Parts: sequence; C-alpha cells; structure tokens
Amino acid sequence: MDKKGMRFRGASMMFQFFQEMEQGIDASIRAGGGHASPRKRYTLEVARLGRRLYSGRDKLAWCGVVAPFDLLNAMGVTSCFVEFVGAMLASTGTVGTFIEAADHLGYSSDACSFHRSVLGAAMQNAMPVPDVLIGTTNPCSGGLAVIENLARHFSKPLFILHIPQDESGGNVPYLADQIRRMARFVTDHTGLPLDQERLRRSIENTNRVHAIGSEVYELARHVPSPATSRDLNNFGIVMALFLGSEGAIEVAEAYRDAFRERIASGKGGVPGEKVRLLWIQNRMQFRHPLEKMLEEEYRASIVIDELNDFNWNPIDPDEPFEGLARRSIAIPFNGTVETRVAHLQKLARQYKVHGAVNPCNWGCRQGTGARGLIEVGLKEIGVPVLNLEVDCVDDRKFTEGQVRTRLEAFLEMLESRPSP
Amino acid sequence: MNRADNLRVGFACAYTPLPLLVAAGFAPFRVLPMTEAPDHAGRILHDNLCPHVKSILDRALAGDLPSLAGMVFMNSCDAMRRLYDAWRTVPGNAPAVLIDLPVTADEASSVFFTGELRRLAGVLETWGGRTPGAEELQRGIGVYNALASRLRALTRRVDSGMLADGPALLQETFNLASTSSFDETAAFVQKLLAEPAQERAPDAVPLYLFGNVLPDPEAFRLFAACGARIAASDLCSGTRLFQKVELDAGGDPYAGLAAALLGRKPCARTFDPSRPVRIGEEILDQARAVGARGVIGHTVKFCDPFLARLATVRRTLQEAGMPFLVLEGDCTLRSIGQQRTRIEAFVEMLR
Repeated sequence: MDKKGMRFRGASMMFQFFQEMEQGIDASIRAGGGHASPRKRYTLEVARLGRRLYSGRDKLAWCGVVAPFDLLNAMGVTSCFVEFVGAMLASTGTVGTFIEAADHLGYSSDACSFHRSVLGAAMQNAMPVPDVLIGTTNPCSGGLAVIENLARHFSKPLFILHIPQDESGGNVPYLADQIRRMARFVTDHTGLPLDQERLRRSIENTNRVHAIGSEVYELARHVPSPATSRDLNNFGIVMALFLGSEGAIEVAEAYRDAFRERIASGKGGVPGEKVRLLWIQNRMQFRHPLEKMLEEEYRASIVIDELNDFNWNPIDPDEPFEGLARRSIAIPFNGTVETRVAHLQKLARQYKVHGAVNPCNWGCRQGTGARGLIEVGLKEIGVPVLNLEVDCVDDRKFTEGQVRTRLEAFLEMLESRPSP
Repeated sequence: MNRADNLRVGFACAYTPLPLLVAAGFAPFRVLPMTEAPDHAGRILHDNLCPHVKSILDRALAGDLPSLAGMVFMNSCDAMRRLYDAWRTVPGNAPAVLIDLPVTADEASSVFFTGELRRLAGVLETWGGRTPGAEELQRGIGVYNALASRLRALTRRVDSGMLADGPALLQETFNLASTSSFDETAAFVQKLLAEPAQERAPDAVPLYLFGNVLPDPEAFRLFAACGARIAASDLCSGTRLFQKVELDAGGDPYAGLAAALLGRKPCARTFDPSRPVRIGEEILDQARAVGARGVIGHTVKFCDPFLARLATVRRTLQEAGMPFLVLEGDCTLRSIGQQRTRIEAFVEMLR
C-alpha cells in the first residue's frame, strides 16, 4: 500500500482527514475576515459532513442517491449516499487502493468504480459502520446492489425505497407511504423520533435553498457566466446531502452573492469566455488538468452540469412526504430517456451552450446506456456532443493525452460554429 | 375469435406476466438473444451494456423478428430500461410498454405491481387484445400453470439424468415454450416424457448451474461434453420463466399474479432486505439439495445485478467448501465455447 493509502486506512484516519480539512478551511475563512469564496464555503460543508460521518458519535445512515436527506437531517441522523465516498476517495488520489481491494474480493472491473471503491473501502474498514442503510431503486441497479452488499457486510438493517418511474397514477402516495415507513424504520433502529416541528423547519430550509439556488442557477446562465468550471462541480448532487440544514442556506447564499457581484462588476468566471459547455452526468472526480486547459487555452467554461437544476417544486410543509416523494421521482436519471433528453435540451437552451461533453463513466449502465439517444436529442437542437470513454473515479485508467486530444478537436470544431 | 388471437406479443424478461398476455388473447414471444443479425446496437447503446439487450436490439434493427402486436419490457435493470428507450427509436418496431417492477416482495410492492399489471392489461387492449377480467385472467393462469407443470415434470426427468441429451433438449423446450404456442410446447413435452429412460452417465460430475441468459442448447451439450451433468439449473431463460402461479381461492387474480411473480425464485435483482445478498446461501442450498459437487455461475457480461453479488456468492460457496466456476458470456455459443478448457479443468478437479 502506498503512503496515501496508508493514510486512509481505517475510519479513524478518515475522521482525522475531514477534521483537519474543516479546521483548515475554518482558519482560512477567519484569516480572511470571514470572507470566503462560495466554493470554499461549499467545501467546508463537505468537510463537516465527512467529519460527522466518521466521528463515531452520530447515528448514521448510508443511503442511495435519492433518499430524503432533509428528513433524515431532521431526525438527527447523519446520512449520505455512498457514491460520495467514492468521489471523495478519487479526489484525494487514494481510490486505487480501495478499488484493488474490491477487485481482490471478486467484484468485477466491469462494474461502476464509484461502487467498487465504496465496497473496497468498507472491506478495508475505511467506511464507518452505519446504524441503518436506505437503498433507493434509482438512479441505478448498481447503486442498490452496493447498498445491499453493505447491509450484509455491516450486518445492519436495510430499508428499500422503490422509486416509481414517474408521478402517474398512485405513484406519489405509494412512495410517500414508503418514506413514512422509512422514518418509522429509522426510529426503530436508532431511537431517534421524527419530530413534526423539526421536519417542518427542515422542509422550510429546503425550500429556502430551492429559492436561493434557483437564483444561483439563473445567475449562472448569464453571458458570460459568473461561474468557473470548478465553481459548481458536483454542486447539485452534493447539496442534496445538506438539505434541511442552515449550512445549505449559507452555501447557497454565498454562491448567489458571489455571482451577483461578479455580474455587477462585469467579471466572468472565465475571462474572455468564448465557449460554453454542458457537462453530462458526472465530472471526473480525480484531479486532472483538463478543465484548466479548457479555460486557459480555449476560454471554454463548463457553465452547467446536468444535475445542477431543481427538477422539483418547493415542498409543502403541510404535506412533506408527498413533496419528498415527488422530488425523489424527479431526478432526470429516472424514467425513460425522453425525460432526460428533454431536461438536457432545456439546460442547453437556458445556458446557451455551444456543445456538450458526456464522459460516459465506464460501468454506469443507466447513464451511458442513454449515450446514443442523448447525442441525437441534443443534435436535434443544434448542440454537438463529445462522448468520452473514461472512468470518472479510477484515475489509474485515465489516459490524459487521448482525452485531451479529443477535447481539443471538439473545441476547435465548436470555435468554428456560430454562437447559439 | 378475437382479432388478437394468434397475434404475438414480445417480451424479454422472465418477470413478464405471461398469463396476462395469454388472457388477453396473445401468444407470448420471447425475443431471444440468438441471431445472425449484424452487431449494430452499439450505434444507440453503449458498448458496456449487456449483450442480452444489445442482441435484442440487433434483432429489431435487422428486422429479425416475427410480426409483433407489441413488446413488453419489465423495468428489471438499467440495461432493460435503456433497451426500452432504444427499441422505440427503431422505425417499424412494434409499440412497447415498460412495466415497473419492485425489487422487494412485500405487501406494498405487491399492491403497486398489481396496479402495473392492470395498466398492462389496458395497454394490451390498445394492441388489439381482450381486456382480461378476473375469469379470463384465471383461465390464462390455468393455461400457464398447466404448461409450467409439464415443464416441471420434464425438468425433474432431465435433472435426474435419465433423458438422453436431456439438458439441451430441456433448453430447446424452454425456447419453444417462450416463442411458440403453449399447445405446441405441451405436445413436445409429452413426446420427450415418453422417451425411454436412459442410464445416467456414471462418471459425469453433477453440477448446479445458475445465472441469467443462456438460451443456446449447444451450451448444455458443451457442459456434457466436458464431463458435467447439470443436476439442476436456475436461469432466466430456463426454469425461472415457468413457475406455477398459486392463487388464493376467491382472491383477485391480478393481485395473486403480482404476488406470485414477485415471490418466485428470484433473479439477483430481487431480494429480501431483511436477508441481504441471501442469493449465495440459496444457491448453496439448491446445489446441496441435488447432490452437486460444484457450482457454475453463468452471467452475461455487464449484468450489474449479478456482477454486484457474485463476490458474495463466491465467498459463501468458498466458506462452505463448494467449488465454484464463474463464466461470463455474450449469449453466444462462441463465447462459452472459448471457456471450454476452464469447464473441463473444473470438472476434472471435481472427479
């Protein structure tokens, strides 16, 4: 095991990592007189969540992507979708150790690396033991399977949320009832009750984030965009983990204020912005120089990521379970590809993008399975798509030269096209 | 005769409610991934999708299908959902419906799935079928159960090793049952059951076979040629497709069919949350019950539901001292033929 791998061995080391990260950012913000970039405030929340996950003090739930995190936050349960761990391990450059561990146990290299790294981390004691697990049938079969495996590994109770494909018929009440039962299940296994007043406050906070976040996205559409390619990387999907908390509101406000200021002062996120890109599904989670290359060499900015949007309406605090159900159903990866393509077309138009990049994460059947139809759908509205073949988590498979060449060719093609 | 009589409705998954298709007046037709059609599915579906769904799309793209009134897809996995999307983009393809399929068999899931079956009944009517009321559906279940019982009898005979070329003939029968009229299959089964019993090959090694899609009878002949006797199998292209539906007397047959489908011997994608990844223990129990000396798991490449659980299956079997061989294939004999040496070595080790 290499030095970095050793550093991450064991959940206690993970706790230390997040604690140091949190303390470092806190100190940096204090040193700056309380001023911090929105990305720094976002990263602080990530560090806080990581520290709580690994503290060993909180009641903990490992979940699927569309679990109702604001409800769990209201119950006092620290909760997180497992893919977060895979992304975090990738960003710290340590993921290879854990993927290898999963490989040695017989997990196929054809499976998604987000999930293989999580399984490897669990087997290497680098995942804290949860009190409960909550699987969600969407967005993918692989994610549900990893939760099932973790439930067995940790010998902890598992609850499944079956997310229907759309809101038709009785689908919303069906899922709302499941969420009610899920809350009772969590109470049964953690001893933490669902207090209605706390749930109401949590939902109100969620709605506040919805309102501020909607403005953030509206501002990000400005030409030139106030956002750099990195500013909103993973933003939409990770912010779901903070929903219900005051911290989520602070992060959203930080982005709103920064973007307002940048627009007012005429500053674009990428100076001299020439090309605006839509990024489909996941970013590459490990460190790589390509986003910087896009910005510096081509004045190209990733102005919108697929999941940086609210596909759901504010939740009625008097009917929270139905609203939570609608939100879980609304993720664009759910249902048929038409929903997803329509969403991407909407984003492409709203953000006036020149082109789209689909990294086609190896091992992701639900995402890359739609590759061809997404390409057709975006071409219909005049948006060319670059399909890459990458593993968004496993940096050992990253062939920078090949990806760079393809991106460069794509950018050169886009530069020769008229602006949208 | 209703105008839907003798019309076929296609399907691709063992969770498809065949009795409902029969009750609506249709002949279920499984679009098996056996084709000489060129490999064009990659134009629409990514290379990392399972060859089962890609072969089905290849058949559609090449026009290698009989006339279909419609195509029923079950939301059994990501790949199947993407196949549904892709299917509808092929000009001239039959209309399609995607029926949602819970992963658990609890009461709420059964109620939901009952609603999905009723929705399917409505769709079948738009495809020219009858609208099956309770009586028609019960009759459809009866027809299906009669065939399932015959197939069960044939399976017992084959598993006992007393039918010459049994496993390959059994797979031929399952293929026939899922692509032809039930009457035709019933007659074929009767003929096979009337065959004189053969002596079981004394030195063949009894194995238990599980997995997903392996429809080519030649694959079973290959196992036999390698010295194996498949003592029992659990495949979605085999026994899992025809399991008797037990109804509560006087109950709603739609609810009964939904509960039976969700509660049947499961594919890896369906599980009991209170016993996660129990599939390993179930395979071990079944292998031991038939006196198997080893287990072969055959899955098509890129099948997430199985890929994600095979490591646990391996560990469970290993801890129990049950030898285990995993074969990954692409639904063709070519891919499994390449594994011949591994199968032979595995069998040799077990002698």
